[in-house]
Amino acid sequence: MADERTLTVPGRFESLAQISDFITQAARDAGLDEDGVFHVQMAVDEACSNVIEHAYGSGLAGSIDLTCAIDSGGDLRIDIRDHGRPFDPTEVPAPNFKNGAVDFDDVKIGGLGLFFMRKLMDEVAFQFDQTGNHLTMIKRVRK
Amino acid sequence: MTPRIVQETLKSDVYRIAPEGRLDAVTVPAFEAVLTESLDAGRSKLVIDLAGVTYVSSSGLRALLSVRRRARSEGGDVVLCNMLPRVREIFEMVGFISLFKIFASVQEAERMFTDGVAV
Repeated sequence: MADERTLTVPGRFESLAQISDFITQAARDAGLDEDGVFHVQMAVDEACSNVIEHAYGSGLAGSIDLTCAIDSGGDLRIDIRDHGRPFDPTEVPAPNFKNGAVDFDDVKIGGLGLFFMRKLMDEVAFQFDQTGNHLTMIKRVRK
Repeated sequence: MTPRIVQETLKSDVYRIAPEGRLDAVTVPAFEAVLTESLDAGRSKLVIDLAGVTYVSSSGLRALLSVRRRARSEGGDVVLCNMLPRVREIFEMVGFISLFKIFASVQEAERMFTDGVAV
């Protein structure tokens, strides 16, 4: 895989399929097996759905900028940037489980997406500055 | 975007609904509309055939849970069948494997409603 590849799409649900194709190719080229490719695909789908639904929406529109790169350790690093409302993950607790299943009544906005991202990726980090939200996720590539 | 969703009457009051492709934030509203329409028409015994479903996002899980709740409150249920391994993995992550009745085939799912047989 080339050192870095980027994709910029409108922050709309209709962009999710294009994002998925882009991520699938990047994950395969990074050397992930099919399980790993699926996990990255789902984590990114949930992350971008959160952006579209919560950072944008209600009259606010903008782009989603994705960058995929192989870091110095050979792992896949995905950066997702938006220019919408700030998202603070510390305000979103992990979902509770009731009788062995996620208690959907109790899940905060964005909480389930965040749960999947943390479950499926090795590292998940959020930042926010005057330009918007910046999410970094890393998936280890087993050599 | 409107996904392809096949609807079929199995026994007199058991219905099969088979969406295809991805159940994600784009396609879930149409899927949910079909389920709601069915419940509004008094059809609350639903077999969701997932044979053609390759992905279910959190919005799909939420929709299934909410329609299952309503169906059960109206004397029916929503059961699932023909789940692909990837979709099963998603259900396992959120514990939905123990929440939903899941069958290997449409026939087994149908039997649960007609004979009360939980396989």
